[in-house]
Amino acid sequence: MNPTLKKSALLLVAVSVATTASACGSSDKPADKPSESSSSVSTISFWDPYPQYDDSSDWGMYVKGCAPEGATINRTSAPNTDLINNLTTAVREDNAPDVVFLDNPAVPEAAASGLLVSLDEVGIETSGADENLAGPGTVDGKTYGVPIGANTLGLYYNETILKAAGVDPAGITDWDSLNKALESTTSAGHKGITFAGVPGEEGTFQFLPWFWGAGADLKQLDSPEAVEAGQLVSDWIGKDYAPKSAITDNQSASWDLFLTGEYAFAENGSWFAKSATDEKFPIKMMPIPAKDGGAAPVPTGGEFGVVPLHKDNSEGHYAAAKSVIDCLLSTDKQVDTDNMLGYFTANSETRAKQIAAEPVYKTWADAINNAQGRTTDLGTGYLQTSAALSKAEQAALNAAGDAGQVKAAFTTAAEESQG
Amino acid sequence: MNTTMGRDPRAVTSSAPRQRTDSAQKKKEEATGATPPRRRHRRQWVGLAFVAPLVTYLVLFYAFPLVENVSMSLHRFTRATYVTGEAPFVGAEIYREVLTAPQFLPTVWQTAFFVVASLVLQYAIGLALAVFFHRNFPLSVVLRGLFLVPWLVPIIVSATTWQWMMDADVGILNRILGVFGVDPVWWLGAENALWAVTIANIWLGIPFNLVILYSGLQNISADLYEAAALDGAGAWRLFWSITFPLLRPVSAITLLLGFVYTLKVVDIIWIMTTGTGRSQTLATWAYGMAFGKGTSAVIQYSQASVVGTILLVIALFMGVVYLVVQRSERVA
Repeated sequence: MNPTLKKSALLLVAVSVATTASACGSSDKPADKPSESSSSVSTISFWDPYPQYDDSSDWGMYVKGCAPEGATINRTSAPNTDLINNLTTAVREDNAPDVVFLDNPAVPEAAASGLLVSLDEVGIETSGADENLAGPGTVDGKTYGVPIGANTLGLYYNETILKAAGVDPAGITDWDSLNKALESTTSAGHKGITFAGVPGEEGTFQFLPWFWGAGADLKQLDSPEAVEAGQLVSDWIGKDYAPKSAITDNQSASWDLFLTGEYAFAENGSWFAKSATDEKFPIKMMPIPAKDGGAAPVPTGGEFGVVPLHKDNSEGHYAAAKSVIDCLLSTDKQVDTDNMLGYFTANSETRAKQIAAEPVYKTWADAINNAQGRTTDLGTGYLQTSAALSKAEQAALNAAGDAGQVKAAFTTAAEESQG
Repeated sequence: MNTTMGRDPRAVTSSAPRQRTDSAQKKKEEATGATPPRRRHRRQWVGLAFVAPLVTYLVLFYAFPLVENVSMSLHRFTRATYVTGEAPFVGAEIYREVLTAPQFLPTVWQTAFFVVASLVLQYAIGLALAVFFHRNFPLSVVLRGLFLVPWLVPIIVSATTWQWMMDADVGILNRILGVFGVDPVWWLGAENALWAVTIANIWLGIPFNLVILYSGLQNISADLYEAAALDGAGAWRLFWSITFPLLRPVSAITLLLGFVYTLKVVDIIWIMTTGTGRSQTLATWAYGMAFGKGTSAVIQYSQASVVGTILLVIALFMGVVYLVVQRSERVA
């Protein structure tokens, strides 16, 4: 080693030792330092997971209209999967937004990690939402979020194809009759069903109606019922009823496939119900059938209005949050908000009025009343279970009907959900 | 025989400039020797002052994040850590967890396959194309330009296009295979996913290899080819005895850079398969865990930084290998 090299090497070592020391020192600085000063916030920061609406959209204008006197609302959008990560770093830097619309399965995790303040502290009234829809907002007896409304899943069908294949939609009441319908439509030269099997929460959300519809429980992923649900979707791939791209399709991609007009069925969300009426072919919807008949329990989708933790000027921020949430989500305002987003309101009375005013929603009424919160049973443990279930579904779809592989996938999932 | 023939001309071309720098160095040393010690001392401080901005930059943007990464892998970070600041020191516990995880070894092998297959094929195809374009012919500039397209197209576009082309039901790749009577392949299914993303990545890396190797070819003196041709060497002989050995330094840097790029590839894999099935590599695994993306929304910062540290060590090791190879080249 020549002298210059040695010198610079020494310098680097010295420097890295210094940074290590400072890195260790910085990690244990005190986290909260309540501030005395309280002043009203003039720029209210608002986050939502609807990047499809820009600032000039109806939704953007509507949100801005909720700014209290003398303040403006600054709206930022990011996809659901990014929102909680962005929120985590923002809370750390104490520049969190005042209000966030956070996806419901993320609420328990965010609350347990201390990112949110309970609504009691902020003084927001939470009554009025139905219990099954408000469920995910409550963690350890404290309420952290107001459901902004709800959406859920249904089984859309292309009426033209069903008619051409001689399938009566009213006859589809359980898995057997659904499979028979898929067989008749595919053998008549059409394609079968689209759904989203994309890895992650979105895929699990779409799998749950079959999982719960078989009678399976999130607490036991290797039950025979769970395997049956996996076998059902696995067979769809194996028999070419569903496109192989289902393993990576998200809900928009699988809806696009359905809109080609080639597919007979599509499992998808109520947020498409209104736009479905404007398509080139007649689209109808039926509740997703359970294995042995009747409507399968479907998971509730949708976001919660939550208030992130603030250290500096917390009173000012919480007051701003209260006024925005009251303006957007109080029981009487929620109908407007939800119509804007294509959601159902979280309160059964206002929802009844909403559904009465919009004929396409009629078939959805039962589904939403019977919908279950995903995190209600497991709380913060849900994310882990959902990940295991998503992996099992991926493996089941890849097995393309192979019963041994499907069973093995769910056995593994049961082990992983414990860990 | 090959090697001696390869080395001789290089020794001739490269030794002349080195002698010149050597003598320049000597002159400089004489000059510094002439300055009185006090001035030399001051000059050292001035020298340090000039280096300081660079060192500060390196510390802030290289050393600090790396040290933080390693520190994170030794503390148990959760989402709550961001609020409470509590991250208990657990020593090597997280390393043990990651190394014994059932997906660890398969992921290492998949990463090795992805990197090696990508490097070998990118290099071979890139070199073949570089040699091909080295002989100028009508339209060669335009064609060479077209080969750079993969580099210019945003990866989100090219990866999505690959995903469409590899669609099992309606993708064009399966249609072409169908013409030849081959059964459709489920490219992005768990079993074939690794090959699928490797193919796309090879396509993506060819332009890089082409450009660097082509510029390396420009530096080989045409006289050598002429002399060898006069001695009766054919095209193959010219390639193996002149082109290939003289490209060795360029090849080494191309392969090293390619290795580091390929090792950390996330985007193309993520867009095509989100790292499902066999297409999971160490880099996609770390990405998924760090941000709660992919199958699991649970964030595992510490586990991700363990994988990050492993990647770092591999890349460092390759850097050392490169330095050793380069030094032995120079000595030879």
